[in-house]
Amino acid sequence: MLVAFFESIKYSGHLVPVSFLRIFVGYYYLQNFIFKFSGDFLVRPRVAEMISQNLISSQAPEWLKWVLNTYMVVHWQGFAFTLLALELSVAVSYIIGYVVRPIALVAVLTTLLMIYLSPAANQDFLKILLATHFAFAWVGAGRCLGIDYYFFKRVRGIWW
Amino acid sequence: MKHFILFLGFIFLFLFVSHVNKNQSLLTGDQKPVIKVFAYSSFTSKWGPGPQLKTLFEQKCNCIIEFVEGSDSGILLQRLKVEGQKLGADLVVGFDQFDLQKATVELSWRALDFSKIDSDPQIKAAMKNEYFVPYDWGVLSFVARKSSGLPATLSLDDLMQSQFASKIALQDPRTSSVGLQFLMWVLKVKGEEEGFEYIKKMMKQVHSYSPSWSTAYGLFKSEQVDLVLSYVTSPLFHKIEEKNSDFVALEMIEPQPLQVEFLGIPSFCSNCEKAEEFINLMMSPEGQRILMEKNYMLPVLKNVRTGTAFETVKVPFRLLEIEFPSLTQVDSILEKWSQIRREASL
Repeated sequence: MLVAFFESIKYSGHLVPVSFLRIFVGYYYLQNFIFKFSGDFLVRPRVAEMISQNLISSQAPEWLKWVLNTYMVVHWQGFAFTLLALELSVAVSYIIGYVVRPIALVAVLTTLLMIYLSPAANQDFLKILLATHFAFAWVGAGRCLGIDYYFFKRVRGIWW
Repeated sequence: MKHFILFLGFIFLFLFVSHVNKNQSLLTGDQKPVIKVFAYSSFTSKWGPGPQLKTLFEQKCNCIIEFVEGSDSGILLQRLKVEGQKLGADLVVGFDQFDLQKATVELSWRALDFSKIDSDPQIKAAMKNEYFVPYDWGVLSFVARKSSGLPATLSLDDLMQSQFASKIALQDPRTSSVGLQFLMWVLKVKGEEEGFEYIKKMMKQVHSYSPSWSTAYGLFKSEQVDLVLSYVTSPLFHKIEEKNSDFVALEMIEPQPLQVEFLGIPSFCSNCEKAEEFINLMMSPEGQRILMEKNYMLPVLKNVRTGTAFETVKVPFRLLEIEFPSLTQVDSILEKWSQIRREASL
């Protein structure tokens, strides 16, 4: 697997700049995760506060607003845990280049949700992040400098 | 697919174990209760009294004070109503006398009794409230520049003089409690009929009705107006913070209105005793001094001003009695004011 990791540069070298971006984004997610985990994201209703504050002016569809208001505010602990776990998944996946394609699709969905839940000032950045995740999923960014290349060689299929 | 599910499963499990582990180490260690204080932003900001009171309290209570902000008391009450129970609220700071009835109607509050403290005689009436405790107060007046050569005493009728045409900054009573105070003041002093006639004439004298006290004061500071409705303590702010003694709060011939700020504990509080301890700090001489010096308002406790720059603040002899108008009364007055405003702008 380690050989395949470095071999990937030889066979998919055109993806090196994309891999650089992937690892950088993964590092950004890891930093966010550490900040939230070591803070009070899981023990105080930060996410419920975020929903209450931003959902009124959000462009989110009505059904999503209803779901968030009805279930997520009440069960904020489960929601915060899921968001944080997905953030860690994106971080680890992007840094080591493992299951990047499906994780990037998960990241697209969570970023879309964050666009609906964030103040207007953050939305431009989140939209760029959304496009980046989508590009990673499209190109299969784990196949260069990542474990995905190993499985890509042996298993093939759309997951790598 | 198998890889993806296993990977996600591993991450969720890892986070769960880490979280449980972190919680256990917190439980065996020093986990402090969190007291949530809903307050307006100038109270919680770094130049407001909130941070200093928080530090002082946390040193003694083995707990954490967490502020939840609202831009003004109206927004604060709204937030408290919508999400107070979900987020948890132990104390609410920053109501004025116009909010109290609304707050009492919309939420239930814990009974508080601070009537026995040695309070300033001017606000004895406010101390009798069953659920809300006054923590500071101010007297409203028109503030001017000494250099503008105005007499030190004016009457409300003097404001109609041509020299003040478009030179007075007032606040919109629909959005600012200071603006509402002016409206209530005029109606109290002149009676409803004559009062609204006065308000009608006043529309020509006013430069603009600003949405907040700070916007109106900004007009005065930038010398766009000669008079602004503010507090008798405002000149002291300029004297202390800007070393500028050119400002004066004019004494009015009519009795002047009082603004009192209140705090209360919602009945759904989770750290009610700690919240009450925080109130005790705010009502102690030390807390009152912090509130006075940071808010530039007068302390509720007697003698706190003694020996400070606030001793020089001249509290007018004639003050209006504090009133707690009903919601319908305020709404009907605002409706009439809006109508006059609409007619004036046609």
